[in-house]
Amino acid sequence: MDWSALLRPGLFAGLIVGIVPLLWAGKYQRYPMAITLLVASALGGFMFGVLGGIITALLALSIIISHTYVNQQDPFATRATSLDDVSFDETQFQYFQRQMAGLGTWLRGTGHMLVRNKGGFIGFVGIVFFAVMTVFGPLFIEYEGRPQMDRREPGANTLYAAPSSEFPLGLDWQGRDILSHIVYGGRTLIITSMQAGLFSTIIAVALGSLAALGGQRIDGALNALANLFLTIPNFPLLLVLASIINFDSNLMLAVLLAALTWPGLMRSIRAQVLSLRERDYVEAAVALDLGLTHIIMREVFPNMISYIAINFIFAVRSAMYSLVGLVILGMVPLREPDWGIMIWNAQTRGAFYNPNSLWMALAPITAIALFQLSLILFTRSLEEMFNPRLRQGL
Amino acid sequence: MATSFPADQPPEQSSSTQTQHPLLARLQEIRSSYAFKVVLQGILTAWAATTFTFFLVRLLPGDPVSIKMDQLMQQGYTAQEAANIAVTLFRYDPDVPVLQQYVQYMGNLLRGDLGQSISSAGTEVSQLILRFLPWTLVSVGSALLISFTLGIILGTAMAYWRGSTFDNVLTAIASALSGVPDYVYAIGIILIFGVQLQWFDVGEMRGGVTQGIEPGFTIAYIGSVIKHALLPVITYVLATIGVWILSMKSSTISTLGEDYINVAKARGLSERRILFSYVGRNAMLPLVTRLAISIGFVLSGSVIVERFFEYPGLGRALTIAVTTRDYTTMQGIFLVITIAVIASNILADLMLGWLDPRVSLEEKA
Repeated sequence: MDWSALLRPGLFAGLIVGIVPLLWAGKYQRYPMAITLLVASALGGFMFGVLGGIITALLALSIIISHTYVNQQDPFATRATSLDDVSFDETQFQYFQRQMAGLGTWLRGTGHMLVRNKGGFIGFVGIVFFAVMTVFGPLFIEYEGRPQMDRREPGANTLYAAPSSEFPLGLDWQGRDILSHIVYGGRTLIITSMQAGLFSTIIAVALGSLAALGGQRIDGALNALANLFLTIPNFPLLLVLASIINFDSNLMLAVLLAALTWPGLMRSIRAQVLSLRERDYVEAAVALDLGLTHIIMREVFPNMISYIAINFIFAVRSAMYSLVGLVILGMVPLREPDWGIMIWNAQTRGAFYNPNSLWMALAPITAIALFQLSLILFTRSLEEMFNPRLRQGL
Repeated sequence: MATSFPADQPPEQSSSTQTQHPLLARLQEIRSSYAFKVVLQGILTAWAATTFTFFLVRLLPGDPVSIKMDQLMQQGYTAQEAANIAVTLFRYDPDVPVLQQYVQYMGNLLRGDLGQSISSAGTEVSQLILRFLPWTLVSVGSALLISFTLGIILGTAMAYWRGSTFDNVLTAIASALSGVPDYVYAIGIILIFGVQLQWFDVGEMRGGVTQGIEPGFTIAYIGSVIKHALLPVITYVLATIGVWILSMKSSTISTLGEDYINVAKARGLSERRILFSYVGRNAMLPLVTRLAISIGFVLSGSVIVERFFEYPGLGRALTIAVTTRDYTTMQGIFLVITIAVIASNILADLMLGWLDPRVSLEEKA
């Protein structure tokens, strides 16, 4: 194992910034939580870089503050004997604490929601599993890109091997460790699908709000455009495009996938904005003159986030479907390691005739199926998280 | 009666229909009808999609004519000969303005002329499509029918006995099934049941029929067609049935809560009559529109699935056309798939309007 790979700047950033929640929790003698959150910030920094480390540390801090903060404005929380003891003036620092406590409480509630729905929790665990595998797997497993001719069993005429204790998923046609390809092969696929999902969500939210709020003419035009894109079959269009453009940039592929998948979400965002505009509580907020920022951030946005989050996941799923499909059909420049390319290799190396090569094709399709399944199960938790009416037994 | 309530009917409309010629009035009625709107919208979308593909192939880098010319010149043709051949193949001359090409292309299209295939010279693209289309239609169509019917039956049963073990187990299975991409099923079936368990011979199951059987209404031919379609159909059914089950279940549950169900129960109607005539028919409404969307989805999915089973349908033809850079065939097949999706959308909208009169009335108003 190569320990130097651990030394990323994000790890140090997470460790250093993580000292703040550590000290805060230490002050209130919450030592187990302090350690957990320091480790969490370090991990966040390791996985998502310097910025990720700082954000994780901030979230960790907010969770601690939500445990320790006493709202001075609340006579019940402070156990004040008379109203004179309650102070409504707060310093900047106290304001910061109150906001952080709010964030922390929300985070803890979200955590409980994740565990509450069984199916959703399984999906969440699955997603975490794949995330951990692609991030930390490379630390423990070395990637085998070259043929390993020396692994040929005496008397065997192929290099294929069934799973053994040394190679838990067996060997492929060049004698390479299939596990290493599974561990390394998800990275590009997952990142590109997430990018595609993100772009598609951004386009959909922007165009959907524009259509709902921009007046009848814009609405009509955008709707017609969405209808056109909805009827054009995505995957065949991608195939046709593949013959014209060279898909050598993953980012471009993500943009292209996003350009094809936005209409579904755009239509639901439009409908949602239109219906939210008419809701009583939004009208009440308008009547109270609470300001556009407040109305959008506090009244409208929280009611749309479930749509957005769930559709983001659906967009990621369909992007991954198309990405793998393109690779399986050999329409994209093949760059190992990639789960799709493992299937392509298995197919071209005769996995459909040779019983020995079962593992070479079974491993990537299981990985893809499990990842997609985790995503779809996770949407159930999301639904419950954002839609209080679905919560059972609350 | 209407004249006594002038607010109900705008007066100018009633006077205009009285003075109009009956034929014109009839036309007016057609124009404002729901079906007309749906069909017109479909035709407009089809036109837009056609225009889109036309400009897509021509305006993007890597002009197909010059690519074909390069290929021909490598085969030993002179530049002039190559240009001539390419122009006849594509039915267009790159020197002619794009708009003129567009008019020509649309004119040819209306006459059903999609040009000639590039890779297999001398074959009309429309003939190629006619050769491949039936296979996809048969496999995708029967799979959709099977999974739709099964899904509706199972979904209704699950909603009726909701909360039971039967419901819980099937819900888990259905969500698991719906989460997995179709090609995973295709590969899994081939690998596990074909290669490992040897339930069928993978090589023999390829293609649309067994080689050497005369086409015709014989038992041998039809049996062979069914046998070869079996694996793709199973794949499509597995990939789509989960969604049908789950949406039918949720739709039925929400219908069961409606007031008219309580009224029907209060009237003392039999359980079976309530389930079939009151619940089932109404709960199916939202699924009819989904059927259209899923036709498009399955047609797209068939591209990958047909590749694995070497099934001679449109999807495999499209893959081959793309790998051989056969632009005319590609364009033609893509167009046919798009138009199939649009046509199924029109059909679904019309069916919905017929099944649920509220929709067409709402559209009219």
